[in-house]
Amino acid sequence: MIEAIGLTKTFKLYRSPSDRLLESLLRKPRHRRYIALDEVSFAVEPGETLGILGRNGAGKSTLLKLLMGVLLPDRGELRLSGKLTGLLELGTGFDTSLTGLQNIERNGRLLGMSGQEIADRRAEIIAFSELGDYIGEPLRTYSSGMTMRLAFAIAIHADPACFLVDEALSVGDAHFQQKCIRRIKQFRDQGGSLIFVSHDLNAVKVLCDRAIVLERGRVVAAGTPDAAVNAYNRIIADLDEDAPLQASVDEAVGGYGNRALELIGGELCGEVSGADLVSAGEPVSVCLRIKAQQRIEDFTLGILIRDRFGQDVFGTNSYFLGQPLTASAGERLTVELCFPMNLAPGKYTLTAALHSAHNHLQDCYHWCDNLLRFEVAGIIGPVFYGIARLEPRMRVYPGGHGPQPPSEDETRAISA
Amino acid sequence: MTLALILQFTRQDLVDRYAGSLLGGLWTFIQPLVNMLVFILVFSQLMGARLPAFSGSGRFSYSIYLVAGLLGWIAFASTLTRTTTVFIDKAHLITKVRLSLWWLPLFVVLSDSIIFLISAGFFLGFLLLIEHPITARFLWIPLIFVVQQSFAYALGLVLAILGVFLRDIRELVTVVLQLWFWLTPIVYVFSIIPEALQPRMQLNPMFPVIDAYHSVVLFNAHPQPLGLIVLVVLTALLFALGRWLFVRLERDIRDLI
Repeated sequence: MIEAIGLTKTFKLYRSPSDRLLESLLRKPRHRRYIALDEVSFAVEPGETLGILGRNGAGKSTLLKLLMGVLLPDRGELRLSGKLTGLLELGTGFDTSLTGLQNIERNGRLLGMSGQEIADRRAEIIAFSELGDYIGEPLRTYSSGMTMRLAFAIAIHADPACFLVDEALSVGDAHFQQKCIRRIKQFRDQGGSLIFVSHDLNAVKVLCDRAIVLERGRVVAAGTPDAAVNAYNRIIADLDEDAPLQASVDEAVGGYGNRALELIGGELCGEVSGADLVSAGEPVSVCLRIKAQQRIEDFTLGILIRDRFGQDVFGTNSYFLGQPLTASAGERLTVELCFPMNLAPGKYTLTAALHSAHNHLQDCYHWCDNLLRFEVAGIIGPVFYGIARLEPRMRVYPGGHGPQPPSEDETRAISA
Repeated sequence: MTLALILQFTRQDLVDRYAGSLLGGLWTFIQPLVNMLVFILVFSQLMGARLPAFSGSGRFSYSIYLVAGLLGWIAFASTLTRTTTVFIDKAHLITKVRLSLWWLPLFVVLSDSIIFLISAGFFLGFLLLIEHPITARFLWIPLIFVVQQSFAYALGLVLAILGVFLRDIRELVTVVLQLWFWLTPIVYVFSIIPEALQPRMQLNPMFPVIDAYHSVVLFNAHPQPLGLIVLVVLTALLFALGRWLFVRLERDIRDLI
């Protein structure tokens, strides 16, 4: 059980650390105040999972640090029943020159385990971490994935009453991640309280019983995960209003890659509107201009459309489309992609990339995140809900039966 | 924060830092042993220094005088320096795990005390070897040492708290300790100080401590109690000051680290 009542935390900003000392002792203000958390209250019952959403700088980290007791609040109260362990302290105090076993001892103690508890759970921890005989080797010989596995195994076996989970959950490979999530669910089923902090809206919806949204240090929404996610989306959308639309670029200065091939510009244009503001369902043309510094045979041009949450909505490339591309040294090319913009109204970005083969892992020539920004407004054709228009055909069959598999006679007729 | 955790920090400080080396924890013993040999051999054999006030143990008398004071001082100086910077040195843990800032520095005191114990063991062995009289008065040594380390802890805590805000304190402590060492009769004998200055020299809080070690080890005498009692009172006052500062500043310390 975790209960926070009116937690308030301000950070004082000083010109120098000594000003802070003088003020504390002389009680004369010498600072500017920054309110990180303002009257934050919530409760997490045993067996319950609370999601915390918020943009960067909304106060999530400060809240977690207060919960863990490494920062102290200005006002307000925090009631914890039992031990609280967080994934933020994953691997705290690990010494790379010590063996895995010695580090279990070391990290376990820091997480508040007694010597007896550590001895009792050692075998379980080693089994969970899947390190096998490596457990006797010094940590410096471990891959980062192995280190994280060990760290997580210790944290989950520290037997806390409350567990803080954040993005650190993305440890190891998919197999280990699922194992971690299973273990966390098991922990919750046994009556543990969970706090889950994430940008992964879907995970919040799936894992949490309730969620709160922090914005500028305040709880601006609290309730079901769905309601909280919607509130969070609204906050993010407001932010995006500031970013100007930019559907045509002449100079792609940003991005990364070895620049053997370069994206030198691009634009997105609606074929009906003739402008960058397109309607859902309108055919659009995306033109990308490329300049080759040297001769490159068989390269790939890819695009990726993301929505305002940064979610990948659609991506494709010339490899998937079966269009081999080749450029000789100094050559300029313009590649056009035409497609109906079957996306819901909203703001989107278009990322473009030039790379070898069908992925960018071998040779990445030029990768430009958010090269273009465009907006879909209004709908041409039938109205729809959701993020994509799938263009279903609709048929009506009279009688009680829908479309049926062909009868035996018809099958025979076809094969003949 | 449990005692077990403090002991673990102590262990880390003494043993784990040698992890991966062939001799491992033995290094904890080698350093004090070599120190001891250098002091004893260099000052008795090569320099042939003699202490006029004391002739019982012949050519080793100056070595005994030097080591008796120096062992205590080394523990004191190391404890004070490392306590002063303990919050900054352990910031990577303090910002991640719930730790009591008030008790954390205790591991420094323990670790330096253990090194002292090892050194003192070697020293006692040496005294036995040269048949220097070891009497019941030697039982004063643990008591003197506890007083000294408490003083180092209390002073260190105050400086550690202030040191978070004024990083200069770390440097200041190093410099002051250097001066302090030479203002304390460890290398030289108190009687060579001009008499006019002697009362002022005795205001040095470490004077009664070092003097007590000398009394016990060299002269087989009880230590002068007055100076030590004053030091105990001073230590209590420093703890009170430390507590006062700590209650006011803990939140800011955590914000700032």
